[in-house]
Amino acid sequence: MPLRKVFAFIKKEFLVKSSYWLAFIFSWLGILVSVATFYFISKLLNPENIISVKEYGIGYFPYVLIGIAFAGYFSTAMHAFSGKIRHEQVTGTLEAMLVTPTRLSTIIISLSLWDFIFTSINAFIYLFFGAVFFKVSFMQMNIPAALVILILTIVSLSSIGIISASFIMVFKKGDPISWLMTMSSGFFSGVFFPVDILPLGLRVFSYFFPLTYALRGLRHAILQGYAIRMLMPDIAALAVFCIILVPLSMKLFGYAVKRAKISGSLTYY
Amino acid sequence: MDCTIKVTGLTKQFFPSRGIYTALLHPLEKPRPILAIDDITFEVKKGEFIYLVGPNGAGKTTLIKIMSVAVLPTSGRAMVNGYDVVKDESRVKASIGLISGDERSFYWRLTMRQNLDFFAALYNLSAVQARIKIEELANFLDITSYLDRRFQECSTGIKQRLAIARALLNNPSVLFMDEPTKSLDPLTARNLRDFIKDRLVREQKKTVVFVTHNLSEVEDFADRIVIMYQGRIKACGTIPDLRQTINSPQASLEELYGKIINSNSDAVA
Repeated sequence: MPLRKVFAFIKKEFLVKSSYWLAFIFSWLGILVSVATFYFISKLLNPENIISVKEYGIGYFPYVLIGIAFAGYFSTAMHAFSGKIRHEQVTGTLEAMLVTPTRLSTIIISLSLWDFIFTSINAFIYLFFGAVFFKVSFMQMNIPAALVILILTIVSLSSIGIISASFIMVFKKGDPISWLMTMSSGFFSGVFFPVDILPLGLRVFSYFFPLTYALRGLRHAILQGYAIRMLMPDIAALAVFCIILVPLSMKLFGYAVKRAKISGSLTYY
Repeated sequence: MDCTIKVTGLTKQFFPSRGIYTALLHPLEKPRPILAIDDITFEVKKGEFIYLVGPNGAGKTTLIKIMSVAVLPTSGRAMVNGYDVVKDESRVKASIGLISGDERSFYWRLTMRQNLDFFAALYNLSAVQARIKIEELANFLDITSYLDRRFQECSTGIKQRLAIARALLNNPSVLFMDEPTKSLDPLTARNLRDFIKDRLVREQKKTVVFVTHNLSEVEDFADRIVIMYQGRIKACGTIPDLRQTINSPQASLEELYGKIINSNSDAVA
């Protein structure tokens, strides 16, 4: 993918977003409020009662802090690709981009990059507020292990997001993938509570969500300093998701673009 | 003279999408296709300024979209600069510019320069090339003093000049203009048409296909006109030739247009 084009998209998104600077401040204030809310909820809970949290050797607050900080990647992956395509269709800029010698795959991926960068900044701010205001310790963090998990998480989740964008490309609204994943991931993936406390019949579903492995791996890497080899089960699971979902999403997206070109609806919304 | 655009037997059918209510009520009923382009054949020579005219729904925009590779044809062939619009998509894109009368296709919160810089990257211009080209085009189009203004702060005439600047970033030899004057006042529209004819066609030898349904602007500018009606080409030729074919050398453009649209035969002249 040509780097100059990728940077042009990131710069453009930054310039547009930063022109609404007040929104930045409010979103970061929102993070502080959210972190504080979970901190005080955690005061009500006795971690001794949550066996799976005890397994991490931490209290509920650091547990949920990692969950809410990194669940943002899920939300971004689910909505960035389809949301951006729809936004550019509505504003009429998609057609102008499509006339340039730029592949549609480059356009859709680059359009979403700023959202991933912003999500990463937000994740850092979550951790920063947690550390500064609520004394969560990240001294044991294993950065290479966390990065490996994070990259695999972004790739696997992005593939689901691209599948979702394929639906938007063809049907314009109401893609079932985004709806299904958004509705169920918070419940099944261990964002707010460990999946181990779910009844077995429900817990089975959590194994089909990449976010389950992502959050478990990230908690181990960030809070307990697990090395890459200790995280191999989660890394392997995420790699399997990537191997299946990346080609599938590219195939579906290519098909969706062709269908939209035949129906003449590529730039309609 | 070289042939820049060659369209042979081009047909485009659209299948209208059905709402879920209709689909449930009549599950076996196939939607009736809409014939937007019906077996069109024509050529445009290098350096020609041709007008594509016809009433709303005649198929003008669909034809432009096929030639600028945003829509795939159902059958037939369209060649632009010697490249097939289906098989050589990226080469066609690299050699054309598309200008529409739609103001929305820019980022309103960015400056004119930032907008051009973004699209220059999509046209594979390096940062240095982009800077030089933007200055050059701004001089050429007399918009230098507006370059650092936000797009939303500029008048419609200046915005339309920016649209031309964007389409010229890659120095294309063919320009497709889809009703670029539709939201301009008569004087600004006239100046824009003068500019297109004098500077782009006469001076820079660009081939221009200009879509409009406003006949008043055709006579002084067109080398040839193509009259479309219900997806077909009803007539193609110079205005004097077309007057000859309907045996009315003194006919006004409105009379000429009316006679051709209402005639039973196609491709007069």
